[in-house]
Amino acid sequence: MLRKADSNFGFAVVAALIFFFIGGTLTTVVPPLVDKSWGKAFENNDPAKGPTGKLQPYTELELKGRAVYVREGCWYCHTQQTRTLLSDTKRSGWKGVDSPISTPDEFVYDNPHMFGTKRTGPDLSRVGGKYDTQWHRTHFRNPRDLVPGSIMPPFPWIVENQEEFTALVAYMQTLGRAKNWRPDNDYEK
Amino acid sequence: MPEETNSSVNPSAAPSWPVHEDTTAKWFLISSIAYFFIVGIIAVVIAAKFVWPSLLGTVQYLTYGRLRPLHVNGMLFGWLLAADMGLTYFMVPRLCGVKLWSEKLGVATAALWNVIVLGAVVSLLMGWNQGLEYAELPLALDVLVVVAWIMFGANIFLTIASRKYDQMYVSIWYIMGTILWTAFVYLTGNFAVLFATGVNQANLNWMYVHNAVGLIFTPVGLAIAYYFIPKSSNTPLYSHKLSMIGFWALAFVYVWTGAHHMIHGPISQWLQTIAIAFSLMLLIPVWAVVYNFFATMKGQWYQLKDNIALKFLMSGVVFYLLTCFQGPMHSLRSVNAIVSKTDWIPGHAHMAVLGAFSFFAIAGTYWMIPRVFKTSLFSEGLANWSFWFMMIGGLGFFVTLRLGGFWQGWQWNNVAIPFIDTVVALKPVWIVRFFSGILMFLGIVSFSYNIMATILGAKDRPAVAA
Ligand code: HEC
Repeated sequence: MLRKADSNFGFAVVAALIFFFIGGTLTTVVPPLVDKSWGKAFENNDPAKGPTGKLQPYTELELKGRAVYVREGCWYCHTQQTRTLLSDTKRSGWKGVDSPISTPDEFVYDNPHMFGTKRTGPDLSRVGGKYDTQWHRTHFRNPRDLVPGSIMPPFPWIVENQEEFTALVAYMQTLGRAKNWRPDNDYEK
Repeated sequence: MPEETNSSVNPSAAPSWPVHEDTTAKWFLISSIAYFFIVGIIAVVIAAKFVWPSLLGTVQYLTYGRLRPLHVNGMLFGWLLAADMGLTYFMVPRLCGVKLWSEKLGVATAALWNVIVLGAVVSLLMGWNQGLEYAELPLALDVLVVVAWIMFGANIFLTIASRKYDQMYVSIWYIMGTILWTAFVYLTGNFAVLFATGVNQANLNWMYVHNAVGLIFTPVGLAIAYYFIPKSSNTPLYSHKLSMIGFWALAFVYVWTGAHHMIHGPISQWLQTIAIAFSLMLLIPVWAVVYNFFATMKGQWYQLKDNIALKFLMSGVVFYLLTCFQGPMHSLRSVNAIVSKTDWIPGHAHMAVLGAFSFFAIAGTYWMIPRVFKTSLFSEGLANWSFWFMMIGGLGFFVTLRLGGFWQGWQWNNVAIPFIDTVVALKPVWIVRFFSGILMFLGIVSFSYNIMATILGAKDRPAVAA
């Protein structure tokens, strides 16, 4: 086969594509067919099976806030996934309660997905309800006023745009809220 | 022992060349170097923002989240891919013993490519970002990329189809592979993703991100190395058969590994395991290629001393070996739990894209420009400076980010350390990264100045041997 591909143009092309498509199809088209949780929104009413709750589609306001998050590239510094690592569940946790790990069914309304690849700042997958609006306002205006040593950039143009700021905070408060995991349900607004 | 030395396999032995115009190659190379320089400035600004986070902070168009995608897209598409395409327009006609199928089409492709890159600069600064890594550009520009790619592919394929030599040198397969795979990888990453959400979309996105490097920059980069290593050292390739093993292993193995970007994340465990297994198999094509290059250089290493192209090429090969060893290793679950999402990742990415593939493209440029302008290089000494600037800057960058990233991951895994302390702890790492970036940028300055001076003063110096 190697010899043939060496001097036969058509054969080389077809072989290169077949090789590519075997792996390409098996790893992109097949998985969502096999693992249904990729496409079904999270819903659980049985506390024995873990945290209860239901994933809600985003409201118009939240989608607007999400667009700001995408536009400003927050996702280059923040991930949105509590991985299957002990340190992740503890760092996303609240008052000593570990956060549940992220599952595919919590993200079916996410478009574009915001899983991220880099944690220059902390993971945000359970940040919904962690801080109130006033905190976010101060933080976006200048993160170092609240957290000395932070390298998050300031975003004064978001804070000064009341509509965008409200939308962004509304979006932030949805993060990780599909699962009711905080024992006291003490989410900030 | 050189296995075969017939004319089509050994690029250094050529019977009768047709006269090559090389207009397309020139335009692609010149514009790519301009973007290398401009985007280099942005790179330094980004590195500075890690040390002085409020720098340019109130200008929304220059915030980190907009400059970063400009840096990544600018380097990948404005510099590296354009330079790789320019070198392809140079290599393919010579390997086929015919003229490029159409210089007119080629020049039109170069013009369109510049429109795309300038459009990308405007879009990304405006924040018109689609929110998918490597696929940030708005849909209209994506469509133009597809058009440009078809123009490029048609030109190259029609040139290959009219070749004089029956047997195709390994660089030609890699180039054909690049053109075909890129088409599908790009369509997946920029169009198919639009029809998916959540994890499903992420999976398509990572397939694209991984293969943008694995099935676009790797094969065209290797095509360049396979052409210019034998050519610039005047030594035949060690083994034709080994190069075929490397090629077909790459064709089969690479595409499976996208999910290794989400190890421990919310994606099916079995898919993670497949991605890890195939990531380890990547060592096969990498080692086959690297062995072939080292064996070619056997007894020829002394040539590195005053051969600037070869210096960049062989350092690129070493970086390729290192980065492709480290990649599979950090896909292992245990290692991944420490280094994933840390500064180790940009360390790894820069070693691949700068240390390996940009070094190959720079080497090709240093070789090609004097020849297509029928002159000699403006300054060998300055070229040497560009090498050492990039080498020392690059090493400073890779080593500190790797070590720093590992240390960062180690701290994250100790939940007694508050997150902000892990940010503050990395400050020295980011300072070293900034100064390494300055060195790398000086490398870009001396490289681009040298090339510009070579072109502008072409008539004043004698031509080097083709
Ligand atoms: C350059 C990287 C960077 C960018 C870009 C960035 N952040 Fe941050 N972010 C950080 C760092 C570092 C921290 C930790 C220190 C702090 O709280 O300021 C942080 C903290 C946060 C926190 C608090 C998290 C917690 O659990 O305490 C939130 C919320 C947040 N960022 C939201 C955003 C949003 C929204 C954007 C986009 C508008 C954004 N960030 C852009 C780096 C970044």
